[in-house]
Amino acid sequence: MMENAWLIPLFPFVSFVVLLVVGKQLKERSAYVGMLLTLLSLVFALGALYERWTSPTYKQAYTWLTIGDVDITVGFEVNALNALMLVVVSLVSFLVHTYAKGYMHGDERFPVFYAYLGLFTFAMLGLVVSPNLLQTYIFWELVGLGSFLLIGFYFYKEEAKAAAKKAFIMTRIGDVGLLIGMILLFLEVKSFEYEAIFAALQQGDVSTTIMTLSAILIFIGAIGKSGQFPLHTWLPDAMEGPTPVSALIHAATMVAAGVYLVATLFPLYEASEVAMTTVAYVGGFTAIFAASIGLVQTDIKRVLAYSTVSQLGYMMLALGSAGYVAGVFHLMTHAFFKALLFLAAGSVIHAVHTQNIEQMGGLWEKMKWTAPLFLIGTLAISGFPFFSGFFSKDEILIAAWTHGHVGLFVVAVIAAFFTAFYMFRLFFLVFAGEARTNVHNVHESPTVMVLPMIVLGVLAVVSGYVQTPWGAFLGEWLTEGTNWHAHTEGPSWIMIVATIVSLCGIALAWLIYGKRAIARDWLSSRFPLTYNVLMNKYYIDEFYGLTVIRAASFISLLFEYIDRFLVEGLAQLFAATARGVGRIGSRLQNGQVQMYGTVTIVALAILVVIFAVTGGYL
Amino acid sequence: MDFETLLSYEWGVMMPEFIILGVAVALSLIDLFMPENRSRRLLGLFAFVGVAVSFVSLLGLWTSDVTSILGDTFRLDSFAKSFKALLLIGSALVLLLALHYEPKERIAYRGEFYYLFLTALLGAMMMTSSGDLITLFIGLELLSLSSYILVAIRKKHTLANEAALKYVITGSIATAITLFGMSYIFGFTGSTNIKEIAGQLASTYDENHQYILSLAFLLTFVGLSFKLAAAPFHMWAPDVYQGATTPVVSFLSVVSKTAGFVIVLRVIVSVFAQTPSGSSASMLMTLAPYIAFLAGATMIIGNTIALRQRNVKRMLAYSSVAHAGYVLVALASLSMFMFEAIWFYLLAYLFMTIGAFAILQVVSQHHDDEDVSIFAGLYRRSPLMAIAMTIFLLSLAGIPGTAGFIGKMNIFLGAFVVEPAHYVLASIMVVTTVVSYVYYFGIFVQMFFRPVEHTHRLEWPPGVIAVVVICVIGTVLLGVFPNIAYDFLAPFEHFSDFLQ
Repeated sequence: MMENAWLIPLFPFVSFVVLLVVGKQLKERSAYVGMLLTLLSLVFALGALYERWTSPTYKQAYTWLTIGDVDITVGFEVNALNALMLVVVSLVSFLVHTYAKGYMHGDERFPVFYAYLGLFTFAMLGLVVSPNLLQTYIFWELVGLGSFLLIGFYFYKEEAKAAAKKAFIMTRIGDVGLLIGMILLFLEVKSFEYEAIFAALQQGDVSTTIMTLSAILIFIGAIGKSGQFPLHTWLPDAMEGPTPVSALIHAATMVAAGVYLVATLFPLYEASEVAMTTVAYVGGFTAIFAASIGLVQTDIKRVLAYSTVSQLGYMMLALGSAGYVAGVFHLMTHAFFKALLFLAAGSVIHAVHTQNIEQMGGLWEKMKWTAPLFLIGTLAISGFPFFSGFFSKDEILIAAWTHGHVGLFVVAVIAAFFTAFYMFRLFFLVFAGEARTNVHNVHESPTVMVLPMIVLGVLAVVSGYVQTPWGAFLGEWLTEGTNWHAHTEGPSWIMIVATIVSLCGIALAWLIYGKRAIARDWLSSRFPLTYNVLMNKYYIDEFYGLTVIRAASFISLLFEYIDRFLVEGLAQLFAATARGVGRIGSRLQNGQVQMYGTVTIVALAILVVIFAVTGGYL
Repeated sequence: MDFETLLSYEWGVMMPEFIILGVAVALSLIDLFMPENRSRRLLGLFAFVGVAVSFVSLLGLWTSDVTSILGDTFRLDSFAKSFKALLLIGSALVLLLALHYEPKERIAYRGEFYYLFLTALLGAMMMTSSGDLITLFIGLELLSLSSYILVAIRKKHTLANEAALKYVITGSIATAITLFGMSYIFGFTGSTNIKEIAGQLASTYDENHQYILSLAFLLTFVGLSFKLAAAPFHMWAPDVYQGATTPVVSFLSVVSKTAGFVIVLRVIVSVFAQTPSGSSASMLMTLAPYIAFLAGATMIIGNTIALRQRNVKRMLAYSSVAHAGYVLVALASLSMFMFEAIWFYLLAYLFMTIGAFAILQVVSQHHDDEDVSIFAGLYRRSPLMAIAMTIFLLSLAGIPGTAGFIGKMNIFLGAFVVEPAHYVLASIMVVTTVVSYVYYFGIFVQMFFRPVEHTHRLEWPPGVIAVVVICVIGTVLLGVFPNIAYDFLAPFEHFSDFLQ
């Protein structure tokens, strides 16, 4: 199977081309084309994974371009990391293809949607199989293009259009870093091949400065793609796309690309302490920064978007703390539970036609499948014991602790508390209590939407067991032939702390958002006499409200201002500079040919003056 | 020179030029005797066939040795061959576009259009092969004068007249400056033959001479930047592009610009690359910072002002200014692969630009307007053409998978491999490229994300479809398999015969 791995990205590409050509005729049957071809990708990916489990890495390359004496190759590779990624990407993509059949039903541009999905999946899978930086970069850009098309899918909405453009241009800013880093590395090593780069690193052929510089520049690319601070602003806006797209972009594809890139180039980062620390701190900061913003959002998809940013921060933190296995492991579990959460959120939106959680409530009874599945996802992301997120988050905390990042460890624990809190706040507001507005005809989504969620629900529970404190199958396999830790032994209190923190977050959310709703019911019907006691309980809520929530919302407000004024401000400053230069230039362009001649002569005169002053030697 | 020597020359090496000249003469005669009300499309086809035959004859000469005739004024070396191929391919595609150009007001001088087009091409071709400043200058003027009239071919059109006048005036200033610069070179060496000039300058080194020579360099280079539409001689471009017809604009932005780079390389590189200098290996290297400065200015000016344009032709004019800047980066960095990088970029630029103009021609002709909003909803009206346009725009923006990306990457790598590396220039290139996404994506947004305002079906004439198909194939193929183009250059051994 591994020698046929190049087919894996090609299937979705075929889907893209076919649907582009005959999509109009196929109408909604386009979904079957997309589903079938991504299923083929999945089958091949599973085959490749199965084979890679026992045999060594497979690589094939052909010369593509010869510049001077340097050969630039194209090809594909199946190693442990990308075999795993291939399965995750093709699986989530296949499930999203299936789900979208129900979700996008009735959209007049249905075939176009599936064509774009195909292109996007192709780009991501192509990125994963790439054995060299240049090919990675090419697919990296294609991923950006695919996301542009998908986020802007509802182009008649002004916000969607703006969000698509923003996503494209913001990530491009990161890509500039990636491109320069890549070329620096190329000039040093004379090859784009990962193998050659790692070999040169091992032999010490790369100077420390170049190593650190290129590692950080490449990380800037990952910051853009993976929505790390300060290039994260496109990610919440990208929620304007259809919900299946959010699931695809935010779970297994686009945003995972940045983490994947850092993981692929892990030897490079490992060699530079500065770069490692940068990755860890950016990740840690992003984790808490985004989590605190997530506390106050009222749009169901935006809460999930900030949680994605925060979880990606966790992965970066893990990688930056030498926790290679922890980062990749969390990448995998997150792909499953976040895809589940998005699909479930989509199912809710599909049912109630709003994204505002203040207007939801009481859906537990009405959505027999979606609600428990959403709960599973919420438990997994909150790090509730024995769900997948529990194990992977634990690995990250251990990595941060044992690597000596005590500060970051504390930050990560607090962020975990926030995560548990805002996710359960979301859960209670949406599913518990009573409906806050009169939404009629709330119905469960069709089977075609529920089935993918069930698959992901199962994975969100069990996928954690590939790497537990009792057995590190994943880690041993991933780190085979390297000197990285398959599993880091950490003090056992970390797991206990993580559990307590997660439970505290859940309990607090329950007290504020769950309990209050129940109490109101309970109070009015059965126990009117205990009013005072309950009032006191209410004081507790108030107390929490005054202290924890106030503090948290202050922090989140602060971050929001940083976000709005500092980050956006810098972006606007850049845009304004470009526009300003343009304005000056076009003012000179006044249509008078005298002016044109003058500009030329003046420019020539300036050159001659420079020449005369410097004596011709610049 | 007697008849004997005249016969002894290998006239065969001038075959491509002779064919173009012959067709141009024949066309002017046929046009003279053709009844006035007859369609001139036949003449266009004839011209097209002429260009095609000339291209075939060029391919026949492809592997021939360096040949120099007419007392070293005409030389056929690898540089001449490869750039002539660019000129001929570009011209053939533009001619196909011109065949289907039908503006609202009838053009009375269609016959003139075709043979003036061919004489312009002839001028450009002569420049690629010139070994002498005089023939170089004559080629340049032949190209310029023909293009002035081409711009004014819509005689009754105010904008066209304004454009042509501006073009003539700016062009004359440029010519004056160029000649002034060349006169220094001549005064210094007493020769107009480039090889002789280079030889003389290489053998003598004097601190005082450097000063005047550098001045000659600056004057010549600034003068020649007119044809490139590069700073500081870029300002004519938007006005002229707006006034001229679309086929003429694509001629100016592709063929004429290529010819501009030809003359810059011929004069600047051959004359100054071997001249010793006080501070570095050659004068060209000493003076490269000036080229770098102008390249940076060109990229910044082109890309930022393009942001403000609503008129698509003006926008593409600024974009073509910006692209001249990118190519100048290759010249400024003087890497070993400079010729290949420039050649490849111009080839990629040829396909993506002519393709974009082909689609613009049909769309703007249909609406009789050039505002960017004419592209609204193109994806709904002509999905395949919208996709083709997307490919051209992506290539112009330098997105991977397209020829534009490979071209940019070559130049970018070139800027890094030399010692010292041009970090500033490369950064300007990257940043301005990012800026350029904004305006290219403006069209993109119109095509895909705007509702259809006009529901009339667009008519796509077969010639335009052929051009678009060829350009799409060229853009994508060179983006995926750039070696196809490089294989053509394989017999040239990195243009090693350029300075011989």
